Amino acid sequence: MASTTRTKRLSLSAWLKTITFYEILVGMKATLSHLLNYRPVTLQYPHEKRTLPDNYRGMLALLRYDDGTEKCVGCDLCEAACPSRVIRVVSAEVPGEPTKRYSKEYYMDMTRCLFCGMCVDACPVDALGMTREFEWAVYDKRQLHLNKQQLLAIGDRSFPVQEKRLELQHPNVAFFNVAFKHVPPKPD
Amino acid sequence: MTEFGLRLAISLTQIAAVMGIVVITVLILTLAERKVLGWMQDRMGPMEVGPYGILQPLADAIKLFFKEDIIPAGANKFLFTMAPILCLIPSFIGFAVIPWGPNQTFEVGGITVRPFVISDINIGVLYILAFASLGAYGIILGGWSSNSKYSLLGGLRSAAQIISYELNVGLSIVGVLILGGSLSLVSITDAQAGGFWHWYLFALPAPQIFAFVIYVISAVAETNRVPFDLPEAESELVAGFFTEYSGLRFAFFFLAEYANMVLVSCVAAALFLGGWNAPYPGTIMGFIGLPSLAWVENTMWFAVKTYSLLFLFFWLRATLPRLRYDQLMRFGWKVLLPIALGNIVVTAIAVFIYQQMK
Repeated sequence: MASTTRTKRLSLSAWLKTITFYEILVGMKATLSHLLNYRPVTLQYPHEKRTLPDNYRGMLALLRYDDGTEKCVGCDLCEAACPSRVIRVVSAEVPGEPTKRYSKEYYMDMTRCLFCGMCVDACPVDALGMTREFEWAVYDKRQLHLNKQQLLAIGDRSFPVQEKRLELQHPNVAFFNVAFKHVPPKPD
Repeated sequence: MTEFGLRLAISLTQIAAVMGIVVITVLILTLAERKVLGWMQDRMGPMEVGPYGILQPLADAIKLFFKEDIIPAGANKFLFTMAPILCLIPSFIGFAVIPWGPNQTFEVGGITVRPFVISDINIGVLYILAFASLGAYGIILGGWSSNSKYSLLGGLRSAAQIISYELNVGLSIVGVLILGGSLSLVSITDAQAGGFWHWYLFALPAPQIFAFVIYVISAVAETNRVPFDLPEAESELVAGFFTEYSGLRFAFFFLAEYANMVLVSCVAAALFLGGWNAPYPGTIMGFIGLPSLAWVENTMWFAVKTYSLLFLFFWLRATLPRLRYDQLMRFGWKVLLPIALGNIVVTAIAVFIYQQMK
């Protein structure tokens, strides 16, 4: 069979390097130097954990106010903002108060979530937050279909202080973020 | 009857001891390989089981024992069961002729016992080469009987590779056989006594440095190790010839590969590096007046040489990427084979001239 590539004429030094496996020896020197100056870059994960960056985007959670009422008003904006359709919101009127709504049911399919944080950005009342939890390996994928109670529980354990970024909220938005039973006076 | 029984008992004891040493070495190697690879790649290797992970081989063994053993539906059941055993036996059987320590004898009930070699047969090297090439049957039958195309490809690659590199192993040894004038590993090792300048790697009429390099490269290729791990190429063939194997059968293949590594390292140490001989004349134990304990020193030197060669295996694995298939075959047939043949010619001429001058 005819060779498809022309054989190049080697210079003397290149020929010497070839027959003495020079490049292989250089590589072996490199690995040996790593063995002698052994400095592992790994962490023993379950025993040591690295410090997460401040803007780490972990598990999603629903948040509450200090008095225990939910922040979510069931506006569906998170569902609209989600690129992979993780969220499903069923909103309903607050019984006895026809101007107010809340999320009757709230589902998240975390198997599809890509933790982009767009739902958190979209939420006008800061009812959604990203926690720093990341150890969510499960044996059954169905355990990652979270309902409202589970999401609130995550929020409760990850944000013991429920007021999140309150100073950034628009006062008109804040009007809707009130407890169902205690309607405060309008700020004027 | 009693004499036969005694001989049998002595032989079985020796075999059990050697098998035990080999299995323990293999267990050490499985940990050592992962540790050395980890250290060279700035990782830690296994750390969970026991302090610094030293009980990891035990945990691996327990895991392999209790894993589900699957035989694929379309497999040839007889050959599928036999293949790992066919692979394992040749790699263990070669240890029968390896001299682990000095050529001493003692008497037990009128029978001469050589404690450091099971059997000194005068075709020792040929015996090892013959059985080493039998291991290819286990691999190719394992690949074929799985009824899987990837396994078959892995087995075929392995057969082609082993056949082409087996030849280079044989030819690179011939220079040593010319110098030693014998096929027995015991007499070849004995002839290299008295300092490292008598080892056949450096011995005067014809130093076997090229032969040693060819032997190491071919041995790496023959044991299917990186960078010649084409039968197992996990990025191309899933896992090669043992893709369909699980549990204890897979463990047999694994054990055979590591036992083969130990065997080729032992042979290289015995043929090129003086075997159990110390790199200085005599022994320190003899010098300080304890000549009866010289065997400790000598077996230690054999272990040091073997383990250095095994470290070289790990070192190569941490450094080199896998070769392409045509590169491998071209390197074996067009480069190593002519050099090995040339080495035989040069050695023969040098030894002839040396003998005429004497």
